[in-house]
Amino acid sequence: MLKEKVVSEPIFPQAKAKKNKKLGDDALYGWLFASPWVIGLLVFFLIPLVSSLYFSLTTYGILQPGEFVGFQNYKDLMSDTVFWKSIYNTVYFVVFFVPLSIFFGVGLAMLLNMKVKGMSVYRTIFFLPTLVPSVAMAVLWMWLLNPGFGLVNGMLDVIGIQGPAWLGSETWSKPSLIMMSLWGIGQSVVIYLAGLNDIPQDYYEAGDIDGANWFDKMRSITLPLLTPVIFFNLVMGIIGAFQQFTLPYTMTGGRGTPADSMKFYVMYLYDNGFKFFKMGYASAMAWILFVIVIALTGIIFYTSKKWVHYQGE
Amino acid sequence: MKTMKKRTFLSVIFTLILSVVLASCSSNETTDPSSSTGNAGKSGNKVTITVWHAMTDLTAEAMDAVVKAFEAKNSNIKINSVYIAQQGEGKNEKLLAAIAGGNAPDVAYFDRFEVATWAAQGSLTDVSSYAASSGVNADKFYPFAWEEVNFEGKLYAMPTTTDARLVFYNKDHFTAAGLDPENPPKTIQQLEEAAEKLTIKDGKRFKQIGFIPWYGQGWFYSWGWSFGGEFMDTAGKVTANNPKNVEALTWIANYAKKYNIEDIASFTDSQGTTTMDPFFTGQLSMQVSGPWTVSQAEKFNPDMNYGVFSIPTPTGDNHTTWSGGWATVMPKGSKKPEAAWEFMKFFSSEEGQEIFSEISGDFSVIDTVNEKLGYKEHPVFKKFIEVLPVSNARPVMTQGSLYWNELANAVDLATRGEDPKTLLDKVNENVSKALKQ
Repeated sequence: MLKEKVVSEPIFPQAKAKKNKKLGDDALYGWLFASPWVIGLLVFFLIPLVSSLYFSLTTYGILQPGEFVGFQNYKDLMSDTVFWKSIYNTVYFVVFFVPLSIFFGVGLAMLLNMKVKGMSVYRTIFFLPTLVPSVAMAVLWMWLLNPGFGLVNGMLDVIGIQGPAWLGSETWSKPSLIMMSLWGIGQSVVIYLAGLNDIPQDYYEAGDIDGANWFDKMRSITLPLLTPVIFFNLVMGIIGAFQQFTLPYTMTGGRGTPADSMKFYVMYLYDNGFKFFKMGYASAMAWILFVIVIALTGIIFYTSKKWVHYQGE
Repeated sequence: MKTMKKRTFLSVIFTLILSVVLASCSSNETTDPSSSTGNAGKSGNKVTITVWHAMTDLTAEAMDAVVKAFEAKNSNIKINSVYIAQQGEGKNEKLLAAIAGGNAPDVAYFDRFEVATWAAQGSLTDVSSYAASSGVNADKFYPFAWEEVNFEGKLYAMPTTTDARLVFYNKDHFTAAGLDPENPPKTIQQLEEAAEKLTIKDGKRFKQIGFIPWYGQGWFYSWGWSFGGEFMDTAGKVTANNPKNVEALTWIANYAKKYNIEDIASFTDSQGTTTMDPFFTGQLSMQVSGPWTVSQAEKFNPDMNYGVFSIPTPTGDNHTTWSGGWATVMPKGSKKPEAAWEFMKFFSSEEGQEIFSEISGDFSVIDTVNEKLGYKEHPVFKKFIEVLPVSNARPVMTQGSLYWNELANAVDLATRGEDPKTLLDKVNENVSKALKQ
């Protein structure tokens, strides 16, 4: 007994020391493996982020350091008509695209959740457009919507309607853009599908026993339990829609024609920064966009308590 | 002891990661054995310089020929000619990023009217001293071309090509519509009448359209000057809202209203370039364009029966046009300026100009070269050469790119029904404000 104690006593602190050391090693290696990410975050994200806040207060122009002008850039933006036009266009897009994408996303997910033969094929088909690169998608849709030889107007011709100029028309350019953006919602459909599969069958069985019809089940079971996923897609959709750039930029050659109806916020920001050498002005625009997006996200998060229902609560 | 070892080990890994990252950023410099010399004159050291351009098709062939001729003459300089899709008016972001990042090419092919804007930003190398030591001066070049490559008394580029704008018209369409193909319109009034006769519309679709003022090279500069307007006065003040300019834009706006802009947009948005160009497919009877249309016609529709006439004016006289063109620049940060200069000099020399101009069909900036290539006898080219002496050049100013964009936007908005006067006032205000900054 005594001997044993003697033997075991010195082992204990040693083991403790070893354990501590091992923890230290783990942390070290952890940081080591995370270092590419940490460096990337610092070099490509945090430093540019902080510098852009500073640049937004200067007349910095990429090749010239510029001078400190306080809030002049922000003041100038308030009286810049193109800035307001770009805000209008962007908000128009967000207001129509985000709700529509949720509506169609949920609808499609429900259709793709039916127990039908060959469902995986249908699911794949609806997901495929997301794999098309934005520029390729823009070119593809430019051909589909081509006023003269496009498939869309060709089909309208068959039923006796002379289609509009689509992307060349002030009235139709933004609806066209919304339409083609909706074509690529496969990503969110997959998320909705996952959300649908997450709803336990028990609730539906209970509903059946209570004599609920399809509409009742949809209103009282499916939609409420899908709200966490809708919430997620709403936030991501708004953030993404405010940054609309590639499609309109490619389709209009960067000009936002016709009549500035396709000039979106980030396009104007890019023009200022990289075409007119007004990086300070562009930085100010970026921060205004940041504040708008943060504010909207904040509001959604705040109201989410009222309408998002998590299972098990 | 052990922790020390760990620290060393860690820092070694860190250094490794960093060096890999940094090395990949600058690999093209370290692998180039000639980078340290940079002297074109030394024999035995082969210097490679990088040239960026955005030329395709005929101009690309011409560019290759110039490079080949240059390399044959300068055995110690090799040209790495790189096609950059994003280069030219309003799309120089790649070049901008390269200059800002210190990785600029040695020479870039550059839209000449933007030289002043870029020089003012300090992004181009001043080549005055190279020009002085190799005896290059204004003498042989067209004055407007030379003016555009200079900024505040310093030389920032070498001019390479020039052009002008005239109206190309399809003679067969004229005959079919009962117009005299040998007596094309001179006044705006006559132009409108001809366009009306040449237009065949079916419902909302144009089967054939007579003329679209803003199509092709119908930039606002073409119309402003033709209506007798000015874009900058002698004191360097912006005059976008000159009453004559307003008149020109009002005419464009009314034209758009008359033919219904949405229907015209349907037509223009359906058009392509090269073989699909509406002028070559016979869907557009008249268009403002430049001399390159001649070599394109030879390639894409050789049987086409066409002619050119001066851009009509309200009075039918005082015809004018404007010329642009390209240049070679040495971006700031060029690592082999001597070799780069040699190439720029060669490109703008009689020899280089002759090679490039002959293949591309673009005019040389040297009058004698145009003469030698027979452009002064060519039935179409000679009309361009004749108009060059009265040709205008876009204002040489630090906000040339902004001015161009603002005017293009004003035309777009005017055709969509906004008030021309207000639009041009706004252009004036924006450009003037930017100039003061």
